[in-house]
Amino acid sequence: MEHPILFISVILQAMGLPVPHTLVGETLLAKLVSPHMTYTWFVMAFLIIVPKLTLGKIEMVPGKGQNFWEAVISGMEGFMADNMGKEGAKMMFPMLATFALYIVTANMVGLMPGFMSPTSNLNITLGCTLIVFVTTHFLGLKFHGAGYIKHFLGPIPWLIPLMFPIEVISHLARILSLSIRLFGNIMAKETLLGILFMLAGAFFAPLPILCLGVFVSIVQALVFVLLSILYFSAAMEHAH
Amino acid sequence: MSSNRKEMIKLLADFSTIGMTMAFSIFIGVGFGYFLDHKVFDDRTSPWLTLIFLGLGIAAAFKNLFGMAKRKDL
Repeated sequence: MEHPILFISVILQAMGLPVPHTLVGETLLAKLVSPHMTYTWFVMAFLIIVPKLTLGKIEMVPGKGQNFWEAVISGMEGFMADNMGKEGAKMMFPMLATFALYIVTANMVGLMPGFMSPTSNLNITLGCTLIVFVTTHFLGLKFHGAGYIKHFLGPIPWLIPLMFPIEVISHLARILSLSIRLFGNIMAKETLLGILFMLAGAFFAPLPILCLGVFVSIVQALVFVLLSILYFSAAMEHAH
Repeated sequence: MSSNRKEMIKLLADFSTIGMTMAFSIFIGVGFGYFLDHKVFDDRTSPWLTLIFLGLGIAAAFKNLFGMAKRKDL
């Protein structure tokens, strides 16, 4: 199921670049200009440029733009401090806030005609998830050193040969469930919108799904960040 | 947002992982066992490692389930 028109792909094609017609291209250049890559860059540029434009000069008495961004940032910080403590929130805030803003914007951008959600491609969500996974175990090693292995061994010594593979499997299952949930929800939204738009776009058939799409976008970003927070705080606390 | 509602959202996110984690644990177990059987040991151990890792995957799924059920913070 392809989107009818993706305007960045159309522009790049007019410039003579080999935009792939499947999901991922063959050569490196075709991979770089495939839709999910170009729209990721679009979202990145959006997130860099729009705050710069709306923020203006930082002032003691905030204006409209500064007020909005302060509310967004302090809301996210409060949310993280509630769930993983002040210290952890301070340490992990840049990464988790990046994930939150990127995923919300990337999910939402697909609601507009001519745009595509980069998160509707499994490669993007798997990349995000692998970052979370590696960071989780890095945090565990940083906080407990070699004693982090106790997280995997369970409470009873003679059950270790049974518990270790079980724990490893359940940690690997986190990668799949985190990435496939985000990918599946957003791809379903995109596909549904595409089909409805082609069937009865003139009669506003996609309208209810657009409303649901806003909801799904926010909820999925929230769930992704919340689960990352839970995994991080589980890696930081002591083994039980 | 009141703290009660926040708590509910956190729990919803947490418990919404149950089903997927259960399915993926089993599939990872089977997949790893299959990989060991057919790629690493060249069918010599087939089908035993697949079955053993299937068991481990199911055990991981149920351990996750019981871990959720035994939580003290509810």
